[in-house]
Amino acid sequence: MDPALRAAATGMMAQQTRTEVISNNLANVNTPGFKRSRAHFEDLLYQSIRGQQVLGDPNADTAPAIQVGRGTRLAGVMRMHDQGTVEQTGRNMDVMIEGNGFFQLEDGRGKTSYTRDGSFQISDKGLLVTSDGWALQPPVRVPTDASEINISTNGIVSVRRGKDLQPTEIGKIDLVAFANPSGLESLGRNMYAPTASSGEPVIGAPGDAGMGTLQQGSLEGSNVEIVQEMVEMITAMRAYEINSKAIKNADEMGQMANNLTR
Amino acid sequence: MPDPVRMNGLSSAASALQMMEHRQQVLANNLANASTRGFKAETPFARLMGNAMAVTDTALDTTPGTLTETHNVLDIAVKGDGYFVTQTPNGERFTRDGSFTLDADRRLVDSRGNAVMGEDGPIQIKNGKIEIEEDGSVKVDGHQLARLRIERVAKGADLQHEGGTQFVPDATRQLVPPNERHVMQGFVEESNVNTMEAMTSMIDVLRRYGAAQKTLSTIDSVRGIATTELGKPI
Repeated sequence: MDPALRAAATGMMAQQTRTEVISNNLANVNTPGFKRSRAHFEDLLYQSIRGQQVLGDPNADTAPAIQVGRGTRLAGVMRMHDQGTVEQTGRNMDVMIEGNGFFQLEDGRGKTSYTRDGSFQISDKGLLVTSDGWALQPPVRVPTDASEINISTNGIVSVRRGKDLQPTEIGKIDLVAFANPSGLESLGRNMYAPTASSGEPVIGAPGDAGMGTLQQGSLEGSNVEIVQEMVEMITAMRAYEINSKAIKNADEMGQMANNLTR
Repeated sequence: MPDPVRMNGLSSAASALQMMEHRQQVLANNLANASTRGFKAETPFARLMGNAMAVTDTALDTTPGTLTETHNVLDIAVKGDGYFVTQTPNGERFTRDGSFTLDADRRLVDSRGNAVMGEDGPIQIKNGKIEIEEDGSVKVDGHQLARLRIERVAKGADLQHEGGTQFVPDATRQLVPPNERHVMQGFVEESNVNTMEAMTSMIDVLRRYGAAQKTLSTIDSVRGIATTELGKPI
């Protein structure tokens, strides 16, 4: 009975991991630019509990080999990069990417990371930075006498300087794309780093194929859908429950076997 | 020549107990994989061997699992008959778990890093917008790079399970003609385990196990009477 107990136990552990991933998704339901994840499982090795054999006299049937699986294991946690909801904020330094691109950021010490969270601010040096202080790359410097920042759909940042009537172009926001965004490494704080499986970043301008366009005054909400996560949670819960039933069943059978000798 | 397997009540009851234990193990494995993508449940059934000795045999339940939309470009599902072919260190394997990624050489690989085979070998994907069409054609920015190899085995042929949601194909493997394929990008196939059915099967196993156990102890007590009571002087 032991293998049945163990297989069901791996099932319970798998559902627990799945619930952890769902909980993290739900915790980030209001995080701008957040991408939901999903736990991914695979079955364990199969064991031949009986090889092929001949039973009874030589003319009798042969019994085929019997393979029994030994449970499940976590194969990976995959991030889903579908577009989040549009949240209109009206703030002129909130920029949303409509499409697959990422903003390129730099921390001022040469470290680069990527994000989809476009709630920018102006730093003390006049640079456009994220709420964590990472500057857009290439840097966009906003002059001190600037008013009315305008960011076009293809990334041109312009301001009105002093008493000018005509806007002045002060920089350009570039986007980068990855072949497999699910392969990016999550750094936390809405930032990602490229890995071997994500592919190298491809730099382009908003509006280029595969990059997406920018939308000023909006933020990309989290792509977590509460209903979907709730359904996942219920399924995980039920699967957890039924695996515990399998353990109980195996246990009762063991008990009966123990009762064979009085 | 004496019959090598001499059946009596006791050993057939014992073999029934053993069979039920195996059945419970199969059910436990199915349930443990209730959320494993591309998993195919094993259906346990009893096979009568020789002189009424039942053993548990399993058959692969190939009914398709539910397709879930993920919007991930490298999540690919096969609707209907057909398997992806991956190149593993032990040879080519079939799988229905199509949550693929790219490796350092930008080859299409499964979650274990095994290359997914196209009709001309492993598929290297260039930078750009990846599209996978219904017949398995892999296109980047509209240019066809390769076509996925989708294979199947003959009806009734047995696929052997291997860990990692992989199957070992037999000699009847053949290519699915492109016009019969239904490859879907942005979808994954969930496990096909039916938990309701597994639950009822488990209750069934438990009851039958109890019955066999009762049989065994009844035969035992009958024998006990035969050995202790019959020998007594009157």
